[in-house]
Amino acid sequence: MERDDIFRRFHAEACIGCGRCTYACVAAQRYDSFSPRKVVEQGLNGQGGERVPQLWSCTSCGACSQVCNAGVDFPRLVRGLRSLARRDEVPMAAHHGVLNAVGRLTSSPSLRPRSASWVTPDLQIDPRSRSMLFVGCVPYFDVALRYIRNDLLELPRSAVRLLNALGVRPRLDPSERCCGHDAYWAGDDALFERLARENWQAARDAGVEEIVTFCPECASAWRDLYPQVVGDTGIRVRTMAEVLAEGIAAGKLELGAGEDVVTYQDPCRLSKCVGIVEQPREVLRSLGELRDMPRSGPMSVCCGTSGWVDCDHTAKKVQVERLQEAAATGADVLVTACPKCLVHLSCADRHHASELSSRVRIEDMCVRTARRLDRERSSSDES
Amino acid sequence: MTEVEPWQPRVVAFCCNWCAYAGADLAGVSRRQYSPSVRIVRVMCSSRIDAGLILQCFEKGADGVMVLGCHPGDCHYISGNQREEVRIQEVWELLDLLGIGRDRLVLRWISAAEGELFGSTVDTFVALLQSKGPLGRLPDGA
Repeated sequence: MERDDIFRRFHAEACIGCGRCTYACVAAQRYDSFSPRKVVEQGLNGQGGERVPQLWSCTSCGACSQVCNAGVDFPRLVRGLRSLARRDEVPMAAHHGVLNAVGRLTSSPSLRPRSASWVTPDLQIDPRSRSMLFVGCVPYFDVALRYIRNDLLELPRSAVRLLNALGVRPRLDPSERCCGHDAYWAGDDALFERLARENWQAARDAGVEEIVTFCPECASAWRDLYPQVVGDTGIRVRTMAEVLAEGIAAGKLELGAGEDVVTYQDPCRLSKCVGIVEQPREVLRSLGELRDMPRSGPMSVCCGTSGWVDCDHTAKKVQVERLQEAAATGADVLVTACPKCLVHLSCADRHHASELSSRVRIEDMCVRTARRLDRERSSSDES
Repeated sequence: MTEVEPWQPRVVAFCCNWCAYAGADLAGVSRRQYSPSVRIVRVMCSSRIDAGLILQCFEKGADGVMVLGCHPGDCHYISGNQREEVRIQEVWELLDLLGIGRDRLVLRWISAAEGELFGSTVDTFVALLQSKGPLGRLPDGA
């Protein structure tokens, strides 16, 4: 696809130049040189040259298209521009490029990743189950990002515990590969397609009918992106938020209400891409009081960076602002449902604590729910 | 007809400027023969080598990676090699997760006076890789 085709294909010509996108954009907040409106305007006028400044700072969170009156698909437009730009510019990778390399290395058909090494004996796994827990990159985060949070493996463990409590014994793909979400948004089509095919084939060969995931990016990849490569996957994709909300509504999960006041950070892939806004809130309301931040739901603000590229002090500023917004609600805990939001916000909380007037604990929805379940069980055992 | 050459592993050896690189130099000056499979990359300190660089080597077609630095206490930058030791522990974990296996990455301390040790370290590692065979390559890998 050439540059002009990209602008045409994603309806840039419909732009009326109102600038709502730039107002909503996290990347525009970070860099004066990046503005969705300007990118579209200059692209249509043939100005601005081939290179878009700060092209990699777009987090493809979709806030721009959420507020757009004209229906411009700006995130996909950026993706198209990136697939052209990656011919001669390399994005600045965060964390030494380790997590980007994990995506590329796991796509090698001859490597058998051993990403299921986090399983503990108390977790019930059934290798013949039709329902598979797709874990994603969290086991790698646990190594590369341990200096930010050392409890990241609790995410997959909690997810299995909760599924077990709901009567589901999931299977795991013992050599699961990266879902390819980041490769897709970085415009690396070849890598994304390879990963999509490999993951889909592995699941299909194993006879998997349903995939459950606690990572919104994996959910978005399986549900919305894989069909672009393989057609109908024939596999139902559910997020833990949906599974838990259903379980709670059906009375299958016994969770005692707590005193904590929590607030919720909507992960962009979950709220804007997959469209899940209410279910995680239902889960959190069943655990205690939920106080939403002013910017929440589909109008929520992104955690600052995505795809493990282009993280710097401006991203931290966005995160610190978000943490202050969370604290201002009077909540004790900021809950999120995405491992990346968890890592990014925890990083800001840890390394920029001096800029925060009051601090909130940052927790994952599954971990919090599973802990409450444990507490509930141990108290009912005692009584 | 030319004979098919036996498979030779491709090894990247990151050598610190002050000790291991000088050790490799000594091995050369002393005419110590060592495996030609190794490609030496000189870095100012072993702690320059982060997980990203090591994974990139495997991604681009290396079968093994060596990180060679100064003995503890001898680091030109006081504690670079100790930092590297901590970092390599993490890379080992990553290599296990990825299915590459931690034995394809070695960390050794070699001083400027240990030309013989450099040669034998390289030879032992190359022999190990020869017994393990080639690492699976990406379809577009070099």
